[in-house]
Amino acid sequence: MKKKKLIALGLVAVMAASLAACGSSDSSSSDDSSSSSGSSDSDKVITFWNIGVENPDALIMQYAVDQYNQNDSAESGYTIETTSIQNDKYKEKLVIAMSSGECPDMYTSWSGGPLREYIDSGYAQPITDLYKEAGLDQIYMEAAAAQATFDGELYGVPMLNISISGVFYNKDLFDKYNLEEPTTISELEEVCDTLVANGVTPFALGNSSKWQGSMFYQGLATRYAGLDDFRAAYDGSGSFEADCFIYAGDKILEWAEKGYFQEGCNGVSTDDGQDRQALYQEKAAMLYSGSWFTGTLSADSEEFYSHMGWFPFPECDEVDNGAEYANICNGTVGDQFISFNCTDEKLKEAFKCVTYYSTDDCISLMVENGKIPPVNNAADLVSDPLAVEICEYVENATDVQLWYDQYLPTAVANAHLDNSQLLFTQETTSEEVAAATQKAMADYLADK
Amino acid sequence: MEKKYTVKKTNPAAWIVCIILAVVWSVIAVVPFIFMALNSFKDKFEMLVKGVFQLPETLNWANYQEVLAGNFFRYLMNSLVVLVVALVILLFISACAAYPLSRFKFKLNAPIYSLIVACMSIPMHITLIPVFKMTQKMGLYDSIWSLIGPYVAFAVPISVFILTAFMKGIPVEIEESASIDGCNRYRMFFSMILPLSTPGLSTLAIYNGVTMWNEFSFAYTLTQSPTSRTLPLAVWDFQGQYSMNTPMIMAVLTLTVLPMIILYIILQDKLVKGMTAGAVKG
Amino acid sequence: MENNSLAQKRKKSVAICATVFLIPVFFFLIVYIFYPIIDTFIISTYKWNGISADKTFIGLANWKTLLTDKTFWTAFKHNLIIMVCSIVIQIPIGLLLATFLDFISKKKVLSKVFKTVWFLPYLMSSVAIGFLFTYALAANGGIISTVSGWFGGGNVDLLGNPKTALLTVILIIAWQFIPFYMVYAMAGYSGISTDVYEAALIDGATRWQYFWKVALPLLKPTLIAGAILSLVGSLKYFDLIYVMTGGGPGTSTELMATYMYKLSFSQFNMGYGSAVAGGMFILITAVALVANKLLNRGGED
Repeated sequence: MKKKKLIALGLVAVMAASLAACGSSDSSSSDDSSSSSGSSDSDKVITFWNIGVENPDALIMQYAVDQYNQNDSAESGYTIETTSIQNDKYKEKLVIAMSSGECPDMYTSWSGGPLREYIDSGYAQPITDLYKEAGLDQIYMEAAAAQATFDGELYGVPMLNISISGVFYNKDLFDKYNLEEPTTISELEEVCDTLVANGVTPFALGNSSKWQGSMFYQGLATRYAGLDDFRAAYDGSGSFEADCFIYAGDKILEWAEKGYFQEGCNGVSTDDGQDRQALYQEKAAMLYSGSWFTGTLSADSEEFYSHMGWFPFPECDEVDNGAEYANICNGTVGDQFISFNCTDEKLKEAFKCVTYYSTDDCISLMVENGKIPPVNNAADLVSDPLAVEICEYVENATDVQLWYDQYLPTAVANAHLDNSQLLFTQETTSEEVAAATQKAMADYLADK
Repeated sequence: MEKKYTVKKTNPAAWIVCIILAVVWSVIAVVPFIFMALNSFKDKFEMLVKGVFQLPETLNWANYQEVLAGNFFRYLMNSLVVLVVALVILLFISACAAYPLSRFKFKLNAPIYSLIVACMSIPMHITLIPVFKMTQKMGLYDSIWSLIGPYVAFAVPISVFILTAFMKGIPVEIEESASIDGCNRYRMFFSMILPLSTPGLSTLAIYNGVTMWNEFSFAYTLTQSPTSRTLPLAVWDFQGQYSMNTPMIMAVLTLTVLPMIILYIILQDKLVKGMTAGAVKG
Repeated sequence: MENNSLAQKRKKSVAICATVFLIPVFFFLIVYIFYPIIDTFIISTYKWNGISADKTFIGLANWKTLLTDKTFWTAFKHNLIIMVCSIVIQIPIGLLLATFLDFISKKKVLSKVFKTVWFLPYLMSSVAIGFLFTYALAANGGIISTVSGWFGGGNVDLLGNPKTALLTVILIIAWQFIPFYMVYAMAGYSGISTDVYEAALIDGATRWQYFWKVALPLLKPTLIAGAILSLVGSLKYFDLIYVMTGGGPGTSTELMATYMYKLSFSQFNMGYGSAVAGGMFILITAVALVANKLLNRGGED
């Protein structure tokens, strides 16, 4: 029996070693095959992963693939194969695939911290030249490409949606209490006070997944000090303990104290629609969220949607440059960015497929389905009044900052989310949140 | 006759309390289930406006029609095949392993038992990457057969653990009498131990059956095309990036549970008291 | 001599037989469990983001970090709380339900109905449970708040409050798993022969006495095994926490498994994530083996 045990252990060791060896050889061989443009069939298949599992996203993501397979496959010999994976599990499956040397040839991402990791690990090719040659720089907004640009090179094609933060509100409720769209934070507070006095919750908020609350933090910090402080904190020359972050924390604490947020918001799930429910039941009057919400709301009920209004997060009137900072967008201009893990001919063909997303037909397909594509003439294409307002705001924007939780390295993002969430139930202080985030950032930079 | 007499001895007041408690517990157990089913009949907006705990306005079968018109039956077949194959392999090999561990005396018994039990402590997520690599290498990726291995392997420790405990409870006399009859160990296992372990095996079939039926992580890691997906992935068709179509998901989940209820009703008979007793007497 | 070799022969045949019976199980364990766990321990000695081809060997640095990682030990504490609560809540209630079903086993229809209805929670998927309970527990308009309102109380925020979130989730987990322990105890009851039961009743024992004096001692091994299962399950728990709270509010419901998962799959820190997984493995095995020893010793006394 002892022998058997030894043999078993030996077997395990051999297997471990051989599999580890396979893992590493796999990754190098796949690189070889793509660059040598081999003749075997599997080399002629371009794998494409995205999160379009349900309609309309499934429909849109499939559009360019079908177009390519119909129009270009015969000539080039390449075919595109899509795999759709549900959002929550997508990043995980991508990590597993990359780690095993099975990274797809094309994949969507949200840019930011994770894309940076993919690039650093060699899973994304720069496409600056291809992008220009295809004239995509004329079609897509500059701000959109900027969000997928790292060290001067473009690594992702922004293709799906403008998702910037703003406040959706119920016009009927505003009329009922004689309220107007606030343009400054003090006005917003007056609006909120009136609503609270009338027993209406100002903000519906589902913060159990933490990033919805982070949007308030980001919004307030941006309006208070622009983006310089944040960017300095990000590259290590500044700190997350700067004034604007303390201001953001203090405001959230103050608003939580005054009952501006949906009760028990940290236990409320936005995926389940509990925040929208508060809006629909007219228990709450506003919802601060990304502009994808136009699609979500109109899909739930066109009728209700027609009663909604939108305004950007208002200007901070406590600082001198408030008006300037009010034109900074928070969010993503692109939402989904397609990156490429292949080279030469394969890359060219994969890129060709992606260019179908910028054709007029595909753009109008997106618009029909409630998307606001990140193209230069977006405002002319969309007809829905809220979408028009959003487009115009983006076009006049002086700068765009991606969501903190996507932009920051994920370890820092998690520290930020975990700590800022507690502000909404007043279980922490602004200083504690700032210190914890700063510590995570410092650790990350030191580790690098 | 005697039995009836003793039943009367029970205090009627205590009896009533017991029944009331039983009914209360039934309510606690069944209410969420009912609401899952009820919400599957609602329209998406209706559910959000009226709330989750209101009755649906009409019994709206459209959700079910849409679910069934999709890939549902394909997923169902995949799930059934995986479940049956994995369960049969699992129960058989676990019983095989539990037999020597519970009834033989040999040097490595305790260490081997501890080793298997230690395997219960493995956090499943950490195995995803190695298992994915292996599956790729075996050429099983994106096929339902890739799921059998991990499902069996992850259920083995718990199953061996339970069955060993169970088999220890089978009286030694049975074996002794059988060995006098000239039964060897292999025959003894198949003709005595295995049949006597039916309640333990049924418990395990229920426990592992449900776990495998609802298993999610390996299912999405090891498969990718819709044709090789199992039922837990069926909810994906209704889950977007920022919102999900909850009533539709509830419809999927309700349909997913039904086969398990049937399986349970069939298997629970195997748990009836007296079976072992009868077998022992025989 | 003769005797000795016979005994040896016998020993050998036992060993061969045991090997034959154990081989299939070991095949699966080696491929799907031993190899990954060894792999995990190897990776834990690297600084690795999980996707890059480059890994840096850093020896035991990850393990040193783990020893002083507050988040990990807090998560372990949460796991221990879940463990204690689960054993104390799930097993007694499961046993109680099984005992009741055993008493009414003569009433075929009634017992079948209860058996089926009581089993339902275990069949529901975590997605459905998460969804329904977040609505039921909503601070504004949820069922608990409504009931509290009837008695003049204010709204109750259970999931959004870091102090109550963990306990709330523990109760939901208990709700989900009690049916399993019920079925498990039922299998235990099925091992008690009808003769024992009838003999006890003929001797004039009440059901109460039968349960405490006869059934419970006979069920003891079953219950101990159940406790071990619950213990291991609680220490590596992941599902509902991930679905319902994601470890929040703040880190009030962070568990070892959710922490490990975040590190490995979203924070690009596979090396350290593997150390956390290895740490989990060691801690759980240690607790399980100690508990197994203690409980079984207690059983013999």
